[in-house]
Amino acid sequence: MLGLALLQSQQYREAVKQLEKALELGRGGKPGTYMVEEIWQELAKARYTEWEQGALVRKRQQKDLKELCERLLKEDCERRLTIADVNTAPVKQSLVEIDGVIQLDDDEFSGDENKSDDPPNEEITKLYHQHLETLTQVFDKAGAPDRPVEVPDHLCCKITMDIFRDPVITPSGVTYERATLLEHLRKVGKFDPVTRTPLSSDLVVPNLAMKEAVQAYLDDHGWAYRTY
Amino acid sequence: MSPGVASAEKQAEILKDQGNVYFKKERLSAAIDAYTEAITLCPLIPVYWTNRALCHRKRNEWERVESDCRKALELDKDSVKAHYMLGLALLQSQQYREAVKQLEKALELGRGGKPGTYMVEEIWQELAKARYTEWEQGALVRKRQQKDLKELCERLLKEDCERRLTIADVNTAPVKQSLVEIDGVIQLDDDEFSGDENKSDDPPNEEITKLYHQHLETLTQVFDKAGAPDRPVEVPDHLCCKITMDIFRDPVITPSGVTYERATLLEHLRKVGKFDPVTRTPLSSDLVVPNLAMKEAVQAYLDDHGWAYRTY
Repeated sequence: MLGLALLQSQQYREAVKQLEKALELGRGGKPGTYMVEEIWQELAKARYTEWEQGALVRKRQQKDLKELCERLLKEDCERRLTIADVNTAPVKQSLVEIDGVIQLDDDEFSGDENKSDDPPNEEITKLYHQHLETLTQVFDKAGAPDRPVEVPDHLCCKITMDIFRDPVITPSGVTYERATLLEHLRKVGKFDPVTRTPLSSDLVVPNLAMKEAVQAYLDDHGWAYRTY
Repeated sequence: MSPGVASAEKQAEILKDQGNVYFKKERLSAAIDAYTEAITLCPLIPVYWTNRALCHRKRNEWERVESDCRKALELDKDSVKAHYMLGLALLQSQQYREAVKQLEKALELGRGGKPGTYMVEEIWQELAKARYTEWEQGALVRKRQQKDLKELCERLLKEDCERRLTIADVNTAPVKQSLVEIDGVIQLDDDEFSGDENKSDDPPNEEITKLYHQHLETLTQVFDKAGAPDRPVEVPDHLCCKITMDIFRDPVITPSGVTYERATLLEHLRKVGKFDPVTRTPLSSDLVVPNLAMKEAVQAYLDDHGWAYRTY
């Protein structure tokens, strides 16, 4: 309840800690009591809200910065094009020393040498577009974890299609949500839902590594708490 | 069946065996000639093609390796050796995407047989190397592009800040005065001349500088986040075997719920004792279960963090 109170005053970090403690202690007793389920729901909600807050700030800051950078890059490109136009008006000519006198090198006057490179304008514009592309990629990548997508398949139960809360594995190697699998064994039949090989509840093993994998995903993708 | 056809097949087989002998003695030209003759007699036998490809591989004649392997695959699309050597050849010509596909196919087919054969291990090593190189190429390009862009943006932001500060200085030189209408005449409002109202906001300079620093901070965070997957770090614990401390290749789980590298656990059970290494509860190899979900989790991590192929 301390956790719930802290939620109200928006002290999300503290609230989550209190609710996590409650859940840990509540699970020590008989699993599946209503209390544990309720704590879980509130905990998921608290983590979601904590994430949402941070994500809103990040989104706004990134959006503002990206638009500013796009504008500055465009202006920079235009400035460079202007300078380039000024610089290439006369064809560059080489100077050579002939018989002690510095003069224009007629042999190089063809102008072909200057045209062997890309005209400066094309170079500048090409670079500008490349920068724009990199900018988009960078901001996409930075903002990606905050964008809700489909949770990767391997983190979801094949029956519930939701992200695992308490994953368990069967001797066939398939991982399910514990509560859902146990209910299946009780109500539908004593066989593995996917492989249909015979299965009893005592052969079901907690997939500890997957539990950590799920937590790691939630730490980076707080929006996924919503499906809980 | 006419005797002529039968003897052609027999002859081809003899030539192939000859080629194998030459190969073992490292007489590669002779081996190639023998296989070539066999191919001429019976061009539809995939093994002749892959045997010859192996000779070309030893001589680093990669184009020939590629063409022989492709021919072999036309005849037998499930040839492990053909997929494998084709993959190696494509690596040489830096066609990494294709090379990885071929090596993956070879690994998948190779694993269908008895696990732990030398071939599978070798294919795995080459596949990991190919994926690493593919990642490395992409990462170098990304790093350079991001570095250039970040430096450019930092400079542009700074110049933009300085421009705004200059404009702000120009604008605030005279204290703004309000105009009011008194008895039909517009005049300066002496009551507002105290200047206190203007000072209630942040001076524009501080606002501009504060915003600039915030932009710089966001910029750094954004580029850090975008470049993070390409930066080698420690692979997360839950993706690593507790015994090898390396990222899982073929994770298996015990009844205690702990996940290990398959080969390492089986070796432990054989050589050390029939108990779970971490929990020490009794354990036999038939109770060991493939942790398919973890295998996918590892692959997902590698897809995003190609540098982790190096530890393979």
